[in-house]
Amino acid sequence: MEEFLEYTYEKFIFKVKTGYWYSHADFWASIVNSVALIGVSDFLQKAKGDVAFLETISPPTTVNRGQEIGKIETIKATFDIISPVTGTIVEVNPEIETSPYLINEAPYGSGWLYKIELLDFEGDKAELLNDRAYFEVMKKKVLEEARKLYGEKK
Amino acid sequence: MEKKSKKVVVLPCSGIGKVFGALARETTYELVERVRPDSAVTTCLAKLVIGDAETKQLVKENPVITIDGCPKECARKSAESQGVNVARSFQTIDFYKAHKDMKPEGISELDETGRKLAAIAADELGQVVDEVAIEEEKK
Amino acid sequence: MNLEITKVGIISCSGEELPEGTISRIACRKVLTDLKPNETVTICLPLFIAGGEEERKFAKKYPTITVDGCEKLCAAKSTEMFSGKPSKSLVVPDILKKHNLSAPKKLRHFGGEDQAAIQAVVDEIAKSVEEVLEND
Repeated sequence: MEEFLEYTYEKFIFKVKTGYWYSHADFWASIVNSVALIGVSDFLQKAKGDVAFLETISPPTTVNRGQEIGKIETIKATFDIISPVTGTIVEVNPEIETSPYLINEAPYGSGWLYKIELLDFEGDKAELLNDRAYFEVMKKKVLEEARKLYGEKK
Repeated sequence: MEKKSKKVVVLPCSGIGKVFGALARETTYELVERVRPDSAVTTCLAKLVIGDAETKQLVKENPVITIDGCPKECARKSAESQGVNVARSFQTIDFYKAHKDMKPEGISELDETGRKLAAIAADELGQVVDEVAIEEEKK
Repeated sequence: MNLEITKVGIISCSGEELPEGTISRIACRKVLTDLKPNETVTICLPLFIAGGEEERKFAKKYPTITVDGCEKLCAAKSTEMFSGKPSKSLVVPDILKKHNLSAPKKLRHFGGEDQAAIQAVVDEIAKSVEEVLEND
């Protein structure tokens, strides 16, 4: 199985890691047994820019799917970290506290945000997208972002 | 103190895609034109990479610091790929992080806030130029 | 050539040492953001030479126009080195000479008196984009 699904728009290559689950808010969850690692999708980190500041919440904290669990600030925008799953935050990635640029450099790998012990993944799954479904959603979002940037100019 | 004839070469990334690239360029200009005009010079990163003889000689004979815009560190990586032993490396995003109230804008040309931030960054880097120059003297 | 080519990569030299390098940078951005936003893509030269995957892939697949501040032709040579010969190689001093214009005296913070020089380069780049797209 290919490691990434890739969509190229102009010079930008947007990647979706296969085998992960995705929320409509562009956060991913990688599930191993009953634990999820979560992070920012490649599309979202590209759209928002270089991460300068990060606000995270400390474990242990119970969170619901869709809940705000921190903030990321780039020079372009401040946006919420939205949990794609329900459970208990048991760890914050220690590397991103000192090196937040990992979120940009390796959004699906060393740039992970939280480790969450899952409470109801079957319930979460019903609201999440698999890699191929998110890939289609992401492509539309890329085009929408491009329209916003270029407007109606010819 | 007797001034050495060596200069500290300041290599910015000058990235054209982000404001931090413009900030690296402006910081470099501030450094070599205002803060340390007698001890710091700049040259074009791409000239080094294409093998320009004069540029290669410059970085061989003088210590080098790189100023990148972001963690991609294009200037540092390119300089090192050409065999340059980079004495110090910086990223302008870190200057922004240290001065969060000063959000620079503009890519081809920085806005007023960006220029002020570049001036602050260059003032801080003046000391680095001095340190690097002293280290070079001791060799 | 490929009928689907609707984009051109613009690669400016970084040109810190000369005012013409700064003109190149400003002019390229103007074309990218104002004149030809749908037809052009910026290729960041430092990222390109440092091995940027996206920049190099784009420059291999699409036509490129390089804009250099001097006869060293760093942008043109780097592009050829890492992706392929540019479709057009523009040199700012040649453009200024053609229009009987002088380069700015300073390396940065250009004034009103320098705008004609910038505009001449902007117009030349925009014209080149049209020509490249017509030919491809």
